[in-house]
Amino acid sequence: MPRPFIRSAPSKVDKRRRVDIRMTHMAAGDALWWDTRLGSKHASMAARADRYWSWSVLLPLCHLVQRAKRRHCRPLVIWARTDSGRFLRVGMLIVIEAYPYLEIEHPAESHFVWFMSGADAGVLTTEFGMSNPPALGRVLLDSAIVLSQNAGLAGRIGLHAAAAGGEGLLAVYNRLGLIRLPGTAALPASVRRPNDGRFFYADEPVAEALAAALDVSR
Amino acid sequence: MSEFMQLDAKAPATLGAVVEAVTRLSTLGEAKILELVSAGKIAELFPFSAGGQQPIPTDTLAEEELVEASPSPLNRKEREALIQSSLPATSPKKYRPRTASKR
Repeated sequence: MPRPFIRSAPSKVDKRRRVDIRMTHMAAGDALWWDTRLGSKHASMAARADRYWSWSVLLPLCHLVQRAKRRHCRPLVIWARTDSGRFLRVGMLIVIEAYPYLEIEHPAESHFVWFMSGADAGVLTTEFGMSNPPALGRVLLDSAIVLSQNAGLAGRIGLHAAAAGGEGLLAVYNRLGLIRLPGTAALPASVRRPNDGRFFYADEPVAEALAAALDVSR
Repeated sequence: MSEFMQLDAKAPATLGAVVEAVTRLSTLGEAKILELVSAGKIAELFPFSAGGQQPIPTDTLAEEELVEASPSPLNRKEREALIQSSLPATSPKKYRPRTASKR
């Protein structure tokens, strides 16, 4: 029985409130909507690592580049219920399947979270009628862990914190419970990049602990 | 790869330019590409246009209009549909992404 995705998350405004969450696959229209309706607002937020991201370009790019590397992408859209009862796009995520596991002492495959974004909570409230925007960090990571577990990879995931996110982004991933790969650690041979100390991962126990903590929300 | 045929061969880049860009990007690590994207430089390396004539989807959908993603691995047919849906339609009548059409 595969582990389901999360179907509710706490509100960022009132942690006692739950916000309904749904996942869909990302299509070109979703990327276009995000770029047009949210990206234009995120672009002016200097602290956001994703301020220059164009999902309309990223989406086909990710598929094509990974196909060239004989891997596959799983792009997901996270939707949350608005005050009207309808659902709005609030998060975007692109996961690379069967990527080399970052902890090379244990050679294996994992899922790699390549791009992920959560909509600015203030924008959701002021522009889209969402009084209770959901806390999305754990939802985004959980989606990757669930895909990894259901693919037989025991929840192993990895990611690289974009340099544009500065120290703040490192703090976010630490707070979410991921393990930071030491800056002195070697990377898998096929990860063609020096280790800049901004790689994070979840091993099997960490992944299961993070997923289990959210099982009541599935 | 047939998906390339969904790209507009006239603008802003030729099909050949896109193939060349993908080939070049495939030599880079994912973290490097993430940095290029975050610096706003990916358009220089991946000359792809989403197309300016596409209608913007509505802000919200009713729950019954959402086609929820499976948390299980996809089969080959589902993967192909996912890739096809990532490219903008050349014409709304001629091509509609399967994963989006049910919404």
